[in-house]
Amino acid sequence: MSRFRVRTPTVRLRRTVQLLVLALFLAVVLAARPQPGQRLPVWLESFFHLDPLIPVVTGLAAHAVQWAFLLSVVTVVVTVLLGRVFCGWFCPLGTVHTLVGRLFERWRPARQREHWHRGQLAKYYVLAALLVLALFGVQWLVLLDPLVILYRTLTVALWPAAQGGVESTATAIYQADPGVGTWRVTSVTEPVYRTVRDLLFVKQQQSFPNSGFVLGFFLFITGLNFVQRRFWCRYICPLGALLGLLAWRPWLVRKLDTGACNQCDLCGLTCHGAASTGPGTGWKPQECLGCLNCTSACAAGGLKFRWELPWRHGLAPERVNLSRRGMLEAAAGGVVAAMVLRASPQARGATFHPLLLRPPGAADEADFLARCTACGLCMKVCPTGGLHPTLFEAGLDGLFTPRLVPRIGYCDYECNACGQVCPTAAIRPLPLAEKKAVRLGLAAFDVGRCLPYAYGRNCMVCEEHCPVPDKAIYFAPVTVTGRDGVPTELLRPHVDPAHCTGCGICENVCPFKDQPAIRVTSANESRHAANQPILGSGSGYPF
Amino acid sequence: MSAPTRREFLARSAALGAAALLPRFALGQAAAPQAATAPATTLPPDMTIARWGGTEVPTDLPVKLVREALGALGGMGRFVQKQAVVWVKPNIGWNRKPEFAANTDPQVVGEIVRLCFEAGAKTVKVGDFTCNEARACYENSGIAPAARAAGAQIVYLDKSRFRDMTIGGRRLKEHPVYPEIVECDLVVNVPVCKHHGSTQVTLAMKNYMGVVENRGFFHQDLPTTIADITRFMKPRLSILDAVRVLTARGPTGGRLEDVKTFNTVAASVDIVALDAFGSELLGHDPAKIGTVAMGAEYELGRMDYRALQLKELQVA
Repeated sequence: MSRFRVRTPTVRLRRTVQLLVLALFLAVVLAARPQPGQRLPVWLESFFHLDPLIPVVTGLAAHAVQWAFLLSVVTVVVTVLLGRVFCGWFCPLGTVHTLVGRLFERWRPARQREHWHRGQLAKYYVLAALLVLALFGVQWLVLLDPLVILYRTLTVALWPAAQGGVESTATAIYQADPGVGTWRVTSVTEPVYRTVRDLLFVKQQQSFPNSGFVLGFFLFITGLNFVQRRFWCRYICPLGALLGLLAWRPWLVRKLDTGACNQCDLCGLTCHGAASTGPGTGWKPQECLGCLNCTSACAAGGLKFRWELPWRHGLAPERVNLSRRGMLEAAAGGVVAAMVLRASPQARGATFHPLLLRPPGAADEADFLARCTACGLCMKVCPTGGLHPTLFEAGLDGLFTPRLVPRIGYCDYECNACGQVCPTAAIRPLPLAEKKAVRLGLAAFDVGRCLPYAYGRNCMVCEEHCPVPDKAIYFAPVTVTGRDGVPTELLRPHVDPAHCTGCGICENVCPFKDQPAIRVTSANESRHAANQPILGSGSGYPF
Repeated sequence: MSAPTRREFLARSAALGAAALLPRFALGQAAAPQAATAPATTLPPDMTIARWGGTEVPTDLPVKLVREALGALGGMGRFVQKQAVVWVKPNIGWNRKPEFAANTDPQVVGEIVRLCFEAGAKTVKVGDFTCNEARACYENSGIAPAARAAGAQIVYLDKSRFRDMTIGGRRLKEHPVYPEIVECDLVVNVPVCKHHGSTQVTLAMKNYMGVVENRGFFHQDLPTTIADITRFMKPRLSILDAVRVLTARGPTGGRLEDVKTFNTVAASVDIVALDAFGSELLGHDPAKIGTVAMGAEYELGRMDYRALQLKELQVA
């Protein structure tokens, strides 16, 4: 079937705005970077603060909302007046869906009638389940909030991939150094590479071990556009559902001149949100994304959007009909999900995952999970690239939430960037002096590998790098007799738990590149009184 | 003969390309700095020590000390040729503020950059392979702002750029070194004098650990590997910053109680002599410091620095 393309100034304007906002979103993600010695600007989080779903859900779960989320009132007011224009004009993930949907049009079977379908009610049930879940203290925006999904995917998967491509290309050219005569290609590529690296990527060689899963989910939901365009927005997105509820009775409504309508259904054919209920007739404001394709496509000029006071217009017959039974089922689903997600021993505080080193300032696990949306902003600004999305270390409840992986990057003693940017204060914004006192875990030697213990050779890299002014790693001199009977003087390192903050730099720099001979586990972490194996502090150590 | 398959073609091209590039790599390694030639007239000293002898310490004291020490050594023009590309190699290892003396004093670095330009250098690059995240170290140490203000080019060492070079040492046979540093006309080694948990002191020789990757390897035998890399780098001019000195809990420090003001800058063409002097400053017998002893054994210089052409200056 040939495709009908709408090309009017109004639609062009909408597309331009969509692309500009998407570009702005990309720019804001890229702009999130560590600034040595400077506070990070608050606008790095602004996209999240415009999202009303985050304060509602984290507020229910954690009983606390940041002042900055007052910005989402703007979205609420706009939606009450104009309908779901956030989805149609602003949402960057919505724009990605639009673009991918267009890409798929070529291969998709001939376009079916895309009128409103009962299945679109699903997103309201998703929202209901999400809210019930939040009432039980379980916040699960990780795979449901569009801004969170896009931000994380860009941070963890797409930008690092782009950076890797640029870096390896530039390095390959640098190493080959081809040229003509005395002129070298690198005289062009190197300055370009340096500029791109310093202005766009900032950090060197950023990479994330679980990025494949993050990317896989993103590819899955964008791939759904093959089934139906904007599948995510129509059937799943709980933010769309929340805004749909706010657009129950908008002030800007679509009016049909029934005399002009010849039932051609171009309006329905071009509709992004499947808000039309049939050729030329009905319109569900809750489903309308305000894309204006319908009014632009109407050859008869019979469709117009007009201001009308909500109590004057009669939109009642076309309301979305949520069934009481469906709502109860969704609520029950939310309760069951809450129970299941919180059933693990870890969630009950009975066990602690040794590798779950949370960023400095993270509250105890339950409160942290109630706030953290797993957006990835902390991972983006971590100067050492040490924060990484979990897979199942924190349970399904904590999917993709940040953890420190010392093997890859450590927690810089002089840095508190993650807390500065966290939109929901899941990582509290601690002053540097306070942050320095936070313990993320405790380092411990693997004396079967550590060189001075196992191989009779001095090493000391861990002690050298320990940033704590009083040195959490110290040496005890010993004399050992080797296989040849020759006594050797050695300095054997020990960890002083009274000073170790679990920053992980010792593990990061250990000469063993496979499995470090000093490792940091979550033991002794400040945020859990139950995870403290070390009694007291001060003198009285065995060494 | 049939036409080569694509695979064969690619393999042959790669082999030819590699063969064509080999001489370049070899040249790159041989391009280390040449030995200094002293001017013919009067023999300038091998080492100078500038100490503050005044009462009230001026805020730009490091600048004064560097000027005096270098001036007495024959001036920067003795080392920097016109249009030269100079790499100033301070210690920027740690994300610490200047007052903690974990890195070279920013004023010292800034002044050396200015002296290089005054002597006619075309480009002065400043960079180090830091231990903490580079940007944080460069900015918080104050070195990048100071060097930038003096007109230097700030270079971040790129991990993927290190190249295996033939060191030919006792421990280091081949090791990844940063080519951009080796290829410069002159490397000015500007360490900070401080305590170090493993080598007891960290001075000019150890400062060369900032030009190599895979430093974990060094840590298994620091004196020998450091002597190896020092010999490879063919030191010509080293300037020791002992204005503020971290005397304990090095190399990272972090406590102001451990920082002492020695208000001293020493410059030398003999890196072992300079390190011997620094060891004494920190209260050690140079012969008992592994790196210094090994440097002397390698004949990279003289441990007995007082036997050199030495000039001590009281700056006031």
